[in-house]
Amino acid sequence: MIDIRIDDDACVGCSLCVEVCPTKVFEFDEKKARPVVKKPKECFGCLSCSEICPATAIVHEGVVHSENHYYDPGAVELSQKTADEAGGINFPDDAGIRRLAVGDLGIRLLSVASVFRQTLGGSLPAVGTMAGRTLATHLPRYHVPADFKEALAMVVEQLAPTWDLEASYDGAESLKITAGTCFIRDLCRREGLELGGDLCVLFYNYLAGYLAKLSGVRLKLEKTSPGDTCAYEIKVIRKE
Amino acid sequence: MKARVSTEWLSGCSGCHVAIVDLHEKLLNLVDDVEFVRVPVLMDEKGYPKADVGIVEGAVRSEHDRHALEKMRESCGKLLAFGTCASYGGPSGIGWLYGRDAILAKAYGGNVSDAKGSKVPGGASKLEESVIPIDEVVKIDRYLPGCPPHPYFIAIAIRDLLGVESIPLSPKTVCSECGRRMQKTEGAKLSKGEVSANDPDTCFLSQGVVCLGSVTLDRCKAQCPNKGVACAGCAGPSVDLIREPHLDIRSMVAKRMAMLTGIPEQEIRDYIQGDAKTFYSYALSSPVMYGKPTVELREWAAEAAK
Repeated sequence: MIDIRIDDDACVGCSLCVEVCPTKVFEFDEKKARPVVKKPKECFGCLSCSEICPATAIVHEGVVHSENHYYDPGAVELSQKTADEAGGINFPDDAGIRRLAVGDLGIRLLSVASVFRQTLGGSLPAVGTMAGRTLATHLPRYHVPADFKEALAMVVEQLAPTWDLEASYDGAESLKITAGTCFIRDLCRREGLELGGDLCVLFYNYLAGYLAKLSGVRLKLEKTSPGDTCAYEIKVIRKE
Repeated sequence: MKARVSTEWLSGCSGCHVAIVDLHEKLLNLVDDVEFVRVPVLMDEKGYPKADVGIVEGAVRSEHDRHALEKMRESCGKLLAFGTCASYGGPSGIGWLYGRDAILAKAYGGNVSDAKGSKVPGGASKLEESVIPIDEVVKIDRYLPGCPPHPYFIAIAIRDLLGVESIPLSPKTVCSECGRRMQKTEGAKLSKGEVSANDPDTCFLSQGVVCLGSVTLDRCKAQCPNKGVACAGCAGPSVDLIREPHLDIRSMVAKRMAMLTGIPEQEIRDYIQGDAKTFYSYALSSPVMYGKPTVELREWAAEAAK
């Protein structure tokens, strides 16, 4: 059962918790001018009262936080498989954690990408680009680089450790990016999927959109070659 | 042996240093146990002597601030982010809305007092792109937001840092210390910051006055609302706001005020939107606010300027 505790000293007696509670757990004691927990068994832990409380006076103990708001049997089965491969749920080492996380996240991403492809068809790359651009807009201002070279260096620095990312830019038009490590590749190989699928398309365009918005330069994805070292070329079109 | 304490003053107003003096007679007990080896507002110490505890006031605004902070980290055992500027960037974080170049252009070009229409003076330390809270630069052991923090909390923090005793600080909001009665009212009209024409015993929100007490961490013992001034949110966002990505200052104030006064929530949101940059100001440049609608803030600010 969830244990609800109200700090009467902190409480300001606004009675908003009584009002918002969907299961009417609280009653307002007019004499004390404080709410009282009347039906604790009715509480299902939505935490509406805790959210509205202006004084943070309500504390719940024994609430189980749910991480997923949906249940996907396929994904659960696959993550279980990855968990078993990683040696159970006890996370024996870093590699184990990585494989588990990558498996779980990757399966979700693969399904998202295929849903996008089915519903949007040819607009799939645009979704990736938009996501990248949105990320760049949400960055704090002091991370905004001055020119394209600086933007590129910044992105490579961020991503290099995870992806073994390398970029060569000749200062003119052609930009070549290679990724030595790729969790999508590992995942596709394990699941027997073809490389360069929908998720890859999303990621290529995501990075291009991110770079473009950061630097204010127009970019066009030219050529991609997934494989042991994933390489792709981007054409840099200067801003008019 | 006396514990050695070193303090540093970065991009801040020195108010936090002055607040240490507010400890009054408690300060005397402190002086018995502590040797101040570096206090920029009191003594002329150019170097960074070794110390057990370092107290840093202010945010990182320029390259000099960054350098000084790194020196403090090297020379001090434990480092305390003292005050809202050090913890969250503080009011100068509003610069985040405009960027470094726009600010320098405004300050040094075309100003009324600027006869020569000159450039940034040579030799000045280069500005960072924006204000940064100090934990973006070095590792921090303790945080004490507040503008300045109430002496009650300063005493607790210093005793904790010196290893005397550890009292957990309350994670509650300003409302928890406020003596006003929050109740349902009718016919309240929206207003900002008015001190007069208030019922001194009734909550500001109930009276339609925008007050940030319910979304602000209590490191002040609710001094402002208890004395008739609506809370400006100077100790930074409450724990709930930091922890929950979907909560933000504007919507939570509007939600509560709407329930108390019956004024439609959207009307309150629109009303406070123009001033939003002052609401967010104390933590604007801190990562704790990145997930919040601070991106829209630029547009709100532009709209309000029209």
